[in-house]
Amino acid sequence: MKSAIAAFALTSALVAPGLAAARPVTFTTTLNNYGGDGAYLALYLTDASGGYAGTLWLAGGKSKYYDSLAGWYRATGGDPAQIDGITGASVGAGRTLEITLDLADALFDAGYVLHVDAAVEDMRDSPDDVAVPLTTQGAGKTTQGRRYVASLKYDM
Amino acid sequence: MRIPWIAAACLAALPATVALADDDCHAPRVAWQPREAALQAASRLGWRVEEIEADDGCWEIEGRDAEGRRIKAKLDPATLRVVKLRHRDGDDDRRREDVRAPAAPLAAPPANPLFQNGKPPVVQVN
Repeated sequence: MKSAIAAFALTSALVAPGLAAARPVTFTTTLNNYGGDGAYLALYLTDASGGYAGTLWLAGGKSKYYDSLAGWYRATGGDPAQIDGITGASVGAGRTLEITLDLADALFDAGYVLHVDAAVEDMRDSPDDVAVPLTTQGAGKTTQGRRYVASLKYDM
Repeated sequence: MRIPWIAAACLAALPATVALADDDCHAPRVAWQPREAALQAASRLGWRVEEIEADDGCWEIEGRDAEGRRIKAKLDPATLRVVKLRHRDGDDDRRREDVRAPAAPLAAPPANPLFQNGKPPVVQVN
């Protein structure tokens, strides 16, 4: 039921974006000093039922490596339309990627989860290096990643 | 994060005009020197080749240099000039970080509910 309400709110946001409640949210992803090449990162959301909801950013310039971002690739089939205009360079070890965008309020406290898949040349892939639910209470809190991601947080 | 030889060969077989824009080498297919020539070039540099394959439009070589250090190198397939060389022994690993600013987003992000009012995200790497 909650996801149905969220879906309705999102649909409304698409139909009448001027009326949709949204706020700027900054996602901060800091990488470990893992001693390798720049990391490919996919930041994407799934909804309450685990279905793919959209990509926020994909860091990494060579599409032939996108299948190493296994969770994102499984969800999208590598569809380039999902990342048109939202790709950039890979992110070096120890560096911090900051992404700011207006997100609909309906995405919070509605079962949506932010996933970060990571991959580095000649090193092990790390799907879901970190995954955090999008909640208003979770804002500003830091979550540790498993392999390449030192920390992830979102502020609003 | 590696592509198999067959995929690299298929890429190499494409017309030069459709070569990937972000490839590291850009020689047209007809200008490629054969694998044996690349191996000879590596030998002249004193390298012991353990693996060679086509990658990113280059001949990519893994092996040891004259001092026995592990290396990973890319040769321009037309000139056999070394375009990239990394030493990979422990602390001496010369890692290549992509520290460029993210590519400027296009005017419109994908049409999904995440992007309110069609505004692209603001992205920076620190």
